[in-house]
Amino acid sequence: MRARLQPYRNPAAVAMSGLLLLSACAGTQQSTGDASAGEPSVAESAAAVEPNELLVLEWSGYEAEDFWTDFKTAQPEAEVAFEFGDTDANILALMQGGSQADVFHFYTGWQQFYVDEGLVREIDTSQLENWDKVPPEYQELGQIDGKQYFIPWDWGFTSILYNTDEVDEVTSWDALFDPAYEGHVSMWNDGPGAVAVSSYINGWDETALTDEQLAQIEADWIEQKPLNAFYWTGEYVDLCPAVQDGTVWVAYAWQGCYATALAAGDPVGYAKPEEGRNSWVGLYGISADTDSYELALEFLDNKLAETTCANAVSLFYYGCANGDVMAGIDDPVLIEAFGLDDPTILETTNFTPLVTEEQRTAWTSMWERVQAE
Amino acid sequence: MLSRRGTLPFLVGPPLVWLALFFLLPLFLIAAFSLRAGSGAVGPSEPWAPSAEHYQEVIGTPAFVRLLGVSVLMALGIAGLATVLAYPVAYFLTFRAGSRAALFLTLLLIPFAVSYLLRVMAWKLMLGPEGGINSLLGSLGLTHEPLSLLLYSRPAVIITLVYIWIPFAALPIYAAMQRIGRNHLEAAADLGAGPWARFWRITVPLSMPGAIATFFMVFIPTVGEYVTPALVGGTGGVMYGNIIQGYFTRSANWPLGSAMAMIMLALTLVLVAGALRLIDLRRLSA
Repeated sequence: MRARLQPYRNPAAVAMSGLLLLSACAGTQQSTGDASAGEPSVAESAAAVEPNELLVLEWSGYEAEDFWTDFKTAQPEAEVAFEFGDTDANILALMQGGSQADVFHFYTGWQQFYVDEGLVREIDTSQLENWDKVPPEYQELGQIDGKQYFIPWDWGFTSILYNTDEVDEVTSWDALFDPAYEGHVSMWNDGPGAVAVSSYINGWDETALTDEQLAQIEADWIEQKPLNAFYWTGEYVDLCPAVQDGTVWVAYAWQGCYATALAAGDPVGYAKPEEGRNSWVGLYGISADTDSYELALEFLDNKLAETTCANAVSLFYYGCANGDVMAGIDDPVLIEAFGLDDPTILETTNFTPLVTEEQRTAWTSMWERVQAE
Repeated sequence: MLSRRGTLPFLVGPPLVWLALFFLLPLFLIAAFSLRAGSGAVGPSEPWAPSAEHYQEVIGTPAFVRLLGVSVLMALGIAGLATVLAYPVAYFLTFRAGSRAALFLTLLLIPFAVSYLLRVMAWKLMLGPEGGINSLLGSLGLTHEPLSLLLYSRPAVIITLVYIWIPFAALPIYAAMQRIGRNHLEAAADLGAGPWARFWRITVPLSMPGAIATFFMVFIPTVGEYVTPALVGGTGGVMYGNIIQGYFTRSANWPLGSAMAMIMLALTLVLVAGALRLIDLRRLSA
């Protein structure tokens, strides 16, 4: 399904998406400050010798030109290549391990690691023409200690994608653990994702889990393991094809796969679990080791441009940090998909918290043990 | 003109340098990572503090030890199957193909022209609910709905890996059979040995070094296999290599992944060394 976008139509949508993001910031350690600080003199001198090529560390599916069409138009000669990660831990590991990527894409909860380990370069937002279209609460998500290290871009929900021909309406995350769907379930191959789901079901605070609770989560997922056809790693690589060919009936999923299956006329639903959906925000950073800082800035600026953002919204049902684009949403399907007409959306959404190194290690190791069982 | 002594460094030097840079050095780095305290993905420039904590964690986690055992058993089965199935192929090429042996050998090697990943993906399609095997079973009336066991299971991993290995496995056996002197077979025939007797008492023993080489050539890399299980194994077909890969990628914990890799390497070496002590290759090929 391709939705029609008309800018500046729906101020309520902007307000709601802003509130969502404001809430996503709650409890995080970002602080506001002068976001224009950068290294223009270094960047300017470097620009003269910068290669006209860019390596982007992305998530599978985001390499589609729809997701960077404005940059393609602005810089038709620039060579853009992609390297892929499939979880936030994977993206971080690749960056820590010496990835040559100039730009990298990850999600809320993992910002601090990149700054602490010197993997990211501060962004000179004065060079971004589309920066003023990004609501302040989105901008703050990319700030650490008052410096703008990251550009917010996509946002959306995680919930249960289900086959409406095979499954009754899904109202709880529990559906992932329902033996009735044995062999037709698919969980994301990610420890933090599994911890979040279990926390929602049990009503636990995922940032304050006890050892006993984590052990219970591990036992639950070991028991759930035979229900899965497979753990998916790429939304468009293995999840969507399996949903569309009928192998998978119930899956932990993002909206992109839902939009794809719906557009193809497949019988799919996207649950509103009673425990609440999960919400996340995607961020882009520029590698501290990049030789293409200026080009990377232009790439990010164009990610925020109208056509690129509109594509993310209408083709993949992802929210975008460009407030004008979000304000233009008037398609009822998209309004429903983003929950823009739901006054209770804030109360019924679980925002992704910041992850500490200790939690990261414990949750990912727990998941490896589940897989080994 | 260089003397024999003078040419030796030119012949041996490049491969030695290559091995040192791209085999020994990475192996040394993995060993060093495995002894490093803490988690994370760490570069060689980071401070290094030796610790056996990761080895203790791997050995102290029953799920990891069990999975290593399962992976070794799977590798033994896959290596055995691939060797047994490749043997008739090599026999046909050596003794029956005649002047067309070169043509058939080329046909055998054609799969190498297609990437490993594509061949595994092809099996994913074949084993899938709408794949060739399920369609055939359905059209023959043998099944009423697609067999889910075919894909995302341990059997799917075994079927795919055996297929992948057969062309490789046939080559060392073929090379061993090529060295069997026809005069041995002719002498046996002159002395009254029938075809089966010649096969079991001459061909099999003399080709055994090739078959054993084939077995280990398949067994060693299969223990640490992770691509095929990731694509066709589902949650039930996971192998030890998938967990190593997970620690390097999903979990950003290189030290623990390195410790798992070193344990697997050590176990594989012990198994191979033990097997070679039991099998006297020199006596077999004599």
